[in-house]
Amino acid sequence: MKQKKTLLTLIAILILFVFVFIADQTLDSYKMRILNLCAIYVILGLSMNLINGFTGLFSLGHAGFMAVGAYTTAILTMPDIVKTQNFFMTPMMKPLDTLHVPFFLALLAGGILAGVVGYLIGAPALRLRGDYLAIATLGFAEIIRVVFTNTQSITNGALGLKGIPVSTNIWWTFGLALVTVLIIGSLINSSYGRAFKAIREDEIAAESMGINLFKHKVIAFTIGAFFAGIGGGLLGSLLGTIDPLMFRFFLTFNVLLIIILGGMGSITGTIISAIIITIGGEALRFLDESMTIGSLVIPGISGMRMVVFSALLMIVVIFFNHGIMGTKEFTWDGLFAKFAKKPLAKGGNKQ
Amino acid sequence: MKLLKVENVSMIFGGLTAVKEFNLELNQGEIVALIGPNGAGKTTAFNVITGVYTPTIGHVSYKEKNITGQRPDQITKQGIARTFQNIRLFKDLSVLDNVLIANHLHLKSNFLEATFKLPRYRREEKQILEKSLNLLEKVGLKDAQGEKASSLPYGKQRRLEIARALATNPTILLLDEPAAGMNPKETDDLTEFIRQIRDDFKLSIFMIEHHMQVVMGISDRIIVFDYGVTIAEGNPYEIQNNQKVIEAYLGVAEDYA
Ligand SMILES: Nc1ncnc2c1ncn2[C@@H]1O[C@H](COP(=O)(O)OP(=O)(O)OP(=O)(O)O)[C@@H](O)[C@H]1O
Ligand SMILES: [Mg+2]
Repeated sequence: MKQKKTLLTLIAILILFVFVFIADQTLDSYKMRILNLCAIYVILGLSMNLINGFTGLFSLGHAGFMAVGAYTTAILTMPDIVKTQNFFMTPMMKPLDTLHVPFFLALLAGGILAGVVGYLIGAPALRLRGDYLAIATLGFAEIIRVVFTNTQSITNGALGLKGIPVSTNIWWTFGLALVTVLIIGSLINSSYGRAFKAIREDEIAAESMGINLFKHKVIAFTIGAFFAGIGGGLLGSLLGTIDPLMFRFFLTFNVLLIIILGGMGSITGTIISAIIITIGGEALRFLDESMTIGSLVIPGISGMRMVVFSALLMIVVIFFNHGIMGTKEFTWDGLFAKFAKKPLAKGGNKQ
Repeated sequence: MKLLKVENVSMIFGGLTAVKEFNLELNQGEIVALIGPNGAGKTTAFNVITGVYTPTIGHVSYKEKNITGQRPDQITKQGIARTFQNIRLFKDLSVLDNVLIANHLHLKSNFLEATFKLPRYRREEKQILEKSLNLLEKVGLKDAQGEKASSLPYGKQRRLEIARALATNPTILLLDEPAAGMNPKETDDLTEFIRQIRDDFKLSIFMIEHHMQVVMGISDRIIVFDYGVTIAEGNPYEIQNNQKVIEAYLGVAEDYA
């Protein structure tokens, strides 16, 4: 049975890559970009779900970690001459101006740096409870933005970075999304993952069962920050330009929307919802543009899309506050049970 | 050797002295009960021993080592486990997961070994699973292993909470009103169950309980609290005949018994 499930998983992965291959051959660049964004948002959603959904920490610092990852990756991959063109106001600091590494290493460095920043922020902030943690992490993300706006010789300040080599492609995004799913899935289903869930369920009971709350919160937070950094790096290199304004709270809000809609504490829910929200966001783009209905011209209201998004979030929170999947997962067992029209097998909601 | 020693402990909240000059010595294999009217400070005494609160005055030592002011997880790791008056299971998780979680504190593998399922972790996980299933078998919950903890009937939830505490490998078990809300049949079973786990797991037990039937049946010694003050201590016979206790507690306690 176990082997059969592993086989099914491998087949599913194979189908995914066949899909990626066909998409790569046939789809136009606009559609490819949306697919890439889907995969990146899967990574971002999972990283935030690890912190907020599985460990139950109310963190709103995601945009900050993404900024660290995006800038690190961009700085480490931009060719010298693009750097000189970008930094025409203040020259870039040595040795960054001539430093570059292969794309994958740059991404990894972005992830690690975001993880380090996460650790440094987490160490004091995770001693706070609930709402205070939310405020502290939100403040941190804003501080990162202000710092990046003012460190001209490293980040080019408010001008941002342009001409970042577009190394992200569908293989990278889907490949890394898959790796993220596997790693975070494996962590969640290990003894550490159970400890995270115990903390989410009841901190007092978890501590009484010998779980060091602080240590486990820091682990979840740091790993979450690491993957947020990777996601940020991919995003920057997909878009080709980044600036501090991109990393406003709005970005964190987008990811939060994904995990709330998908289910706080569900990996498969996050994947489904990342795809729905990314594609939905594109589909709703017309809301921001001017419309002509018959002879009536309605001028575009920029930000209308966001209003619709926020309303969606509110509806989800009010009417089905467990999201699409709650803390459940899609599993082969569950699928078999459905086809056999029998009640779910014991422990069916485990991977 | 005294396993647990509570010396002259007072716990003061603002102006309220919840526990006053509390002393306790617990020996290997003993069952000691703590009784007293509502609000007498019994749970607070538990919270001081388990590290939830640091006592305002006094010391707690375990195996001759001072543990005052340590965190609950550190204290549990050394061998003092507890249950809660208002059951605090991990409600949305399975019965098995509840017990597995209580094994986490002794895990040697770090999170990378666990994530990448390296050999040492795989070995440990296998042991933990075996141990947990054995434990569930012993407490009669093996058939319910896949169910959500909150879906169990009340009596079984109490039992699961005890099983979860046992999974931390304690030498001392603190039970906060284990028979609360149970019918007479369940109460009898519980009394037998407590005696049995004491022997099987070589435990010392310190428990808070209102059911006199349970308390008188299994305690080696009984401590009586009233308004945070220890008003009596002795074996069941002595307590039943203690004039102070009868006045302060047993008189009112008809409805509990
Ligand atoms: N954290 C706290 N802050 C302030 N007062 C507290 C705190 N914890 C307990 N108390 C007070 O201390 C007193 C003793 O409470 P405790 O819960 O220890 O009583 P108890 O003997 O366990 O009662 P019960 O039989 O109802 O469980 C009560 O008056 C309670 O309100
Ligand atoms: Mg109490």
